Amino acid sequence: MANYIQKRIITGILIIVVSIVLNFTLIKLSPGDPIRVLSGQDSPSPQMQAELTAKYGLDQSVFMQFINYVGNLAKGDLGVSILSNQPVLKMIMERIGPTLLLALTTAIIALIIGTALGIYCARYRGSRFDNIVSGSSYIFDSMPNFWLGMMLIMIFSSSLGWLPTSGMVDLRTNYTGFNYYLDVFKHWLLPATTIVLVTVPYYFRIARSSIIQVMSEDFITTLRATGMSESRIFNKYVFKNAILPTITVFGINLAYIVTGVAIVEIVFSWPGMGSFMLDAIHRRDYPLLMGIYLLLSISVAIMMIIVDVIYAYLDPRILYKER
Amino acid sequence: MSQPITEQALPQTPKEKNVLQRIYTIINQNNQLKIGSILLLFLVLIGVFAPLLALYSPTALGDGLLVPPSAEHWLGTDKLGRDLYSMILYGTRTSLMVGFVSAIISGIIGTIIGAYAGFYGGKVERLLTEINNIFLMMPTFFLILLVAALFGNSLIIVMVIIGLTGWASNARLMRAQALSIRERTFIKSSIAIGEKKSFIIFKHIIPNGIFPIIASTTMNISGAILIESSLSFIGLGDPNIISWGQIVFDGRSYMTSGWWVSTFSGFMIVITVLSFYLIGDGLNKVINPKLK
Repeated sequence: MANYIQKRIITGILIIVVSIVLNFTLIKLSPGDPIRVLSGQDSPSPQMQAELTAKYGLDQSVFMQFINYVGNLAKGDLGVSILSNQPVLKMIMERIGPTLLLALTTAIIALIIGTALGIYCARYRGSRFDNIVSGSSYIFDSMPNFWLGMMLIMIFSSSLGWLPTSGMVDLRTNYTGFNYYLDVFKHWLLPATTIVLVTVPYYFRIARSSIIQVMSEDFITTLRATGMSESRIFNKYVFKNAILPTITVFGINLAYIVTGVAIVEIVFSWPGMGSFMLDAIHRRDYPLLMGIYLLLSISVAIMMIIVDVIYAYLDPRILYKER
Repeated sequence: MSQPITEQALPQTPKEKNVLQRIYTIINQNNQLKIGSILLLFLVLIGVFAPLLALYSPTALGDGLLVPPSAEHWLGTDKLGRDLYSMILYGTRTSLMVGFVSAIISGIIGTIIGAYAGFYGGKVERLLTEINNIFLMMPTFFLILLVAALFGNSLIIVMVIIGLTGWASNARLMRAQALSIRERTFIKSSIAIGEKKSFIIFKHIIPNGIFPIIASTTMNISGAILIESSLSFIGLGDPNIISWGQIVFDGRSYMTSGWWVSTFSGFMIVITVLSFYLIGDGLNKVINPKLK
């Protein structure tokens, strides 16, 4: 076990290292000189040029520049945003709340709905219900999430006028207490529905196929031969074994949660990382974009280690496979 | 999936049948494959015959701005008066090209890396597998976004970068294939008679283990099309070409006054992605009947 954890941690660290190297290489390779990238302007002032040159050691060798870059990162300095002249890390921390609210709630709802549907459809495989759900899972899987979001806006906001089109709260009102939460909920409903609809097929398919796979294994046949009732086999043996892959996938998805909802956030102008990213792209705030990318890679690496370790604890067979 | 999936796993068809007939037999056994192939055929025809089917030039600016669907403009016009029906026809070419080119790049890289890792074993394998794991876990969409933002958004850069970041799943599949194929007798005899390792890899390992890669590459085509349309949607698409994602993006400002702009172009993305998903999934089931 210790050996396994060690291995996963090494992979995690490597992911972070590769992301840092990639980030650095991108700055070096991008057209124009690095000062243009780091300042986000085509003709930065001489003073700004001098500052950036000193900070990143741009007059030194490539290797020293890299050391310098890593040194800055190690101090928690992801660079300074061009837009607001604030440290990137601080800006990200300010904007991550709404994203996590949207991403975590929808991930959990999608996990529950997808798994429940998957289990039901696997038990009644080939039924009309299974065919309908399986068929629509392909369609929702093929939908660009931004398009689905726009369609929902057109139907429920523009035409029917039931729900607000954008934002997280109504800025014209000043709700407090219960009304405030109700307002947030109304704004949350459409983006959340969009994300849930495109994520459910994912969990559905994994749950369905892993249940079907476990059901076809020899030990289930043996249990059937002992005369144990079908529902008892299912509840006691199939469910426990089949639910593991779903949980793992859920864990891995949690790591990508921020990128997963970014585009939907943009469609609904949800004030999270997505809209923030879009601003950064349009205003060519490269340090901010790179800071987001690095932070994402680091969180993915950490999540991956946690998920793998939990998985190995739940299913010790994985330790033997790795050897 | 410990068993190697090779051509033998495919249903045997009589030898005298030609390639087209064999493809037809394979497609015919699975509903997903059937529906997916019909959709794809339809899309390819649209792409190829776009100039004949189009009523207007897709870039011609008309007088009627945001005209709803009518006899004159079947799917309406956009904010510049361009005919949406004609634009969507030409957009088929972009989506199919992005899908195929990026998936083929990632297919080739993945196959070669996976085959070398699985066949050589030892240090080479450990190194390549480690690189593979890193690429599997990296948040690639954001990396693609970053490159498109930094290097400019030409379609070629987008295709290449999607290809370069998407090979990891293919490599993992190919490695598993190579690991089991190299234990088979015909490979051992090739080694014994002194054939070169790279010759064995390209002549025996890859041709015998390629089927799962084909299925997964088909799925990657869907992924690439979705990534390209998402990039276009956040304004990082190539401004010089017609892309469905870009039409959806343009329509975002006219959701109340021009619902048709985004609706139809997005619908085409759904159809295209769906057709490749169905084909990929169908192929997987044909190769590996256990999945049924």
